[in-house]
Amino acid sequence: MTPSLESGRSFPLATQSRPGRLSARTCALVRQRARSPSSSVSLSRALVSGAVRGTMNIAKQVAGGALRFRAYATAAYVPPASLEGMQRARPPPSKPKPESPSFYTGRANYFDQLLALEKAAKQTRTALQELQILPLPRFAQQNLPPLRGVWKNKEDLAELLEVGLNTSRYRRFIGQLNQLNEYRRLAEVAGHMELAGRIQRVLDMFERENKDAILAQGKRKPVKFDEFGRSYTIGRRKESTARVWVIKAKEAASSSTAAAGQGEAQPPQDAPAVGIPGFTRGPLSMAPTPIKVPTTNILVNNIPLVEYFPHLSDRERIVRPFRIAGLLGAYNVFALVRGGGSTGQSGALALGIAKALAAHVPEVEPLLRKAKMLKRDPRMVERKKTGRAKSRKAYTWVKR
Amino acid sequence: MSLVIALRTGRVAHSNSSSLVAPAGSVIQARGYAAPVKAAKKVSSKFRPNAGKENDKKNRGGRDPGLFRPMPPNALTHPVFQSEYRSELKLPVYRPETLTSSAAAKALAFPRDDSRALKAFGLPTNILVDYLLLSTPCSVVRQVTVDVLDQLDKAAQSSSQNTRLVFTGQPGCGKSYLMLQAVQYAIQKEWLTLYIPRGINLVNSSTPYAYDARTQTYGQPAYAQQLLKRFADVNAALLQSLTVQSSYPFDEREVQNGAPIMDLINVGVEFQHQAPTVLNALFDELAKQTKYPVLLAVDDFQALYCMSQYRDPFYRAIKAYHLMLPRALLEFASGKRKFARGAFLGALSSQNTTFRAPLELIESLGLPPNGPTNPYVPRQPELIEYAKGLKNFVVPERLTVDEAASIFELWQQSKALHFPRGDELFLSKYTEASGNAREFVEKGLLQTVAM
Repeated sequence: MTPSLESGRSFPLATQSRPGRLSARTCALVRQRARSPSSSVSLSRALVSGAVRGTMNIAKQVAGGALRFRAYATAAYVPPASLEGMQRARPPPSKPKPESPSFYTGRANYFDQLLALEKAAKQTRTALQELQILPLPRFAQQNLPPLRGVWKNKEDLAELLEVGLNTSRYRRFIGQLNQLNEYRRLAEVAGHMELAGRIQRVLDMFERENKDAILAQGKRKPVKFDEFGRSYTIGRRKESTARVWVIKAKEAASSSTAAAGQGEAQPPQDAPAVGIPGFTRGPLSMAPTPIKVPTTNILVNNIPLVEYFPHLSDRERIVRPFRIAGLLGAYNVFALVRGGGSTGQSGALALGIAKALAAHVPEVEPLLRKAKMLKRDPRMVERKKTGRAKSRKAYTWVKR
Repeated sequence: MSLVIALRTGRVAHSNSSSLVAPAGSVIQARGYAAPVKAAKKVSSKFRPNAGKENDKKNRGGRDPGLFRPMPPNALTHPVFQSEYRSELKLPVYRPETLTSSAAAKALAFPRDDSRALKAFGLPTNILVDYLLLSTPCSVVRQVTVDVLDQLDKAAQSSSQNTRLVFTGQPGCGKSYLMLQAVQYAIQKEWLTLYIPRGINLVNSSTPYAYDARTQTYGQPAYAQQLLKRFADVNAALLQSLTVQSSYPFDEREVQNGAPIMDLINVGVEFQHQAPTVLNALFDELAKQTKYPVLLAVDDFQALYCMSQYRDPFYRAIKAYHLMLPRALLEFASGKRKFARGAFLGALSSQNTTFRAPLELIESLGLPPNGPTNPYVPRQPELIEYAKGLKNFVVPERLTVDEAASIFELWQQSKALHFPRGDELFLSKYTEASGNAREFVEKGLLQTVAM
C-alpha cells in the first residue's frame, strides 16, 4: 500500500502514545489539507506541529505533575483532594502557547520546513523500500537519467521562508530538497507517477520560475511559426549572423489547391487546345495545362540575392539547402544579415535556411543533416600569437 | 617638329584656324596630343640588358584584338569536325509575322541572308561574345519585345518627336538585346535604320577628330565615313528610291537637288574629310522625306551626355555635344530635329563606369538618383535641354520562368554547357540569378562549376 503524504489518516505519529490527543484544530487542519493538496507546507507544518504538540502535552502533564509534587519549602502542604473543589481568587495566568514547537529556535519557519522535508523524505524512503525500489542495484544506479535541481537561490528562499538564511542553513535545506528530488526520480523511473507527482508538488514551491528555461539551455529548441506560417531561424558563420524568415511560396499553395478543386485540365488561352494527333478520347486528346512554375525569391537586407552577393559561389552556397531538400520554388526567404564578409554572411544564411526548411518539412531533416547543412561551422579566425607574424606564419629563421 | 618634316609625314600640329577643307598637307590630328611612337635608339655600349627584346617586338606584329570569328560550318570539311556532337541551332526565324504575344518566351534566330545589319552595324560587345559561343545569332522574344514592336508600329506613321524611348532597367536585364530586336524588326519592316551599337566609341577618343570652323564643332571623319558606308550597306534597297531635296555644293563634287541620295552618301564615303558634313546633310534629308520611317537607335545612350575624352588645344575636355555626330544624335533625341516619320531609341548601359548617366539625364527619365542630391547640385542647362521629353521605357528586371527556360534550352541545344539538362539545375540557376538575364547566362550557365 502506498502511504500518502497528504491523506492525514493513515499517518502514524510515532511520537504520540495516546491517540486522540491531537488538538481539534490540528485534526481539522489535517482533514482540510488532505482534500486540497496544494499547500503542502502548511500541511506539513500542521502535521509536524500536531505531532509536536502531542509530545508537548505529555511532557507538560508530566512536568506539571512533577511541579505540583516538588513544592517549595515555604509553601504549606495541602492534600490534593482538598484542592479539587477550591476556587482561586483569580484565574491562573494563561500563557499563550507558541504556534510552532520550534518557536524557541528563533527560526521557526525554517526548522518547521526542514523537519517537514525530512519527514517527507523518511516517508518516501519507507514507501520506496516497500515497493522494493530502494536500495537500487549498482547497474540501475548507474543508468538512471541525469538529475538536476534548479532551486531558488538563497535570497529568494529566505524571502519565501520569511527567515534569514546563511549559507550553511541554505545548504542543509538544499540538501534535503536534493534528497527528495532523487526519490522523485526513482519513483518516476520506476513508473509510480502518482508518488512522483506528489513529491513534485512538495518540491514545486522551492524551484525557480524559469526552471524550464534553465533546463532547456544547450538543447535544441523547436522552431516557432507565427500566425502567417513564417518560421524564424538564426544561422551563424565566422563573425556573421543571419536572421531568416521563411514562408511558403503562394503560387505553389494556390496551384495545388486549384488543381485539387478543378480536377480537370483547362485549355490555355493563347494556343489552341489540341492534344496529340491521333487521339480522340482520353487524357492524351486534351492539351496539357501550362504549369505555372513557382519560384523561390530570396531577399537579403531587402536587396535581391543577385545584387547583394555578386559572387556566384556565395549564391550557390545559399541555394544549396533548397537543392538538397528538393524544395526549390516552394518557399520564399527574407533575411537580415550582419557582420563578417561575404563568405561568412552566405554561410550563415545557408544555415538559417537549412534550419527553416527542416522546421517546415521535417522529412528533409535527415537529408540536410547527412549533408552537414544543419551543422554550425565551428571554424573561426585563429588568433595571432606572440613570436609569430600571423597565427601560423613564422618570421624568417636566421641562423645566427 | 619642322613644317617640312610634318608635311612629309602628313602630321601637322593642330592650329585653331584650320578647317576640314584641307590642303595637300592634311591637318587631321590623330588621337589628340598623343606623340608618335619612336623606335628605341640603339645604345652603343657593351651592356645589353634584354638581348633579343627588339626582335620580339618586331615579330609580334599588330595588337591582337582578342576576338575571333568562327568559321562557317560549310568551311569545316575536315573529318574531325564531322561528329554528332557538333550541331547547328535550328530555330524558327525572327520575322514580323511571327512576332505576336504567342511568340513570347520563344527563341528565334535572326535571318542571316536578308539583312546584313548584324555584320554591317556591328553588335554590342556582350552580345557579340554570346554569338561567338552560340552558332547562330538569335534571341528570345519576351513580352517586352512585343510591347516595343507595337510602339514602333504606332510610331511608323508619326514624327519621331512623339516616340523617343530610352530603355532603362537593372544591369543585365536585357536592354541591348531588346534594342537589337527592335532594329531587326525595323529593317524587316522596311524602315531606314541607323544603329549605333557602341555609343561609347563616339566619345572615347578612339577615332580621329577635327575642328570645323563653319559649324564650330568637332567632326569625326573616319567614324562618319564608316557609318555612312554601313548605313548605305544595310539600307541599299530603300535608298535607291530616295532623292535629295536640296543641293549640297561640296568642293570636290556638287550634289544637285533631285539627285539620288546615294550620290550624297558617296561623297562622304569617298572623301573622308567631308564625311561629317555629309552625314549631317543625310540626317536632314532623312528628316524631310516621308516615304519610309526612320529608326535611329543608339546603345550606350548615356555616353552622349558625358564629357568626351577628346581634348581641345588648351587641353580641356571637349563636351560630347560639341562633337558633330553626338550633337546630331542628341538633337534627334531631344526633339529639336525630328524625322517626319520614325522613332528614336536609346538604351542606357552601366557597363562602363567612365561614362555614367549624369544627373540631368537621370532626372529627366525619372530614375532614382545614385546618391543624395539637392537643388544646389550644379546641373548643366544644355544637358537638361537635350534630355527633355525622353520617355523612360522600363525593361523588367526579372525574366519570367518561361523566358528563362527558352534561354536555357537555347544554350543546351548549342551544346555549350558542361552539365546535363535538368529542371532542378535550371531552377537553381534561376533562383541564384533572381531572374536577371546576364547573371543567369554568364554566371549561372557558363561560369558555374556546380553539377
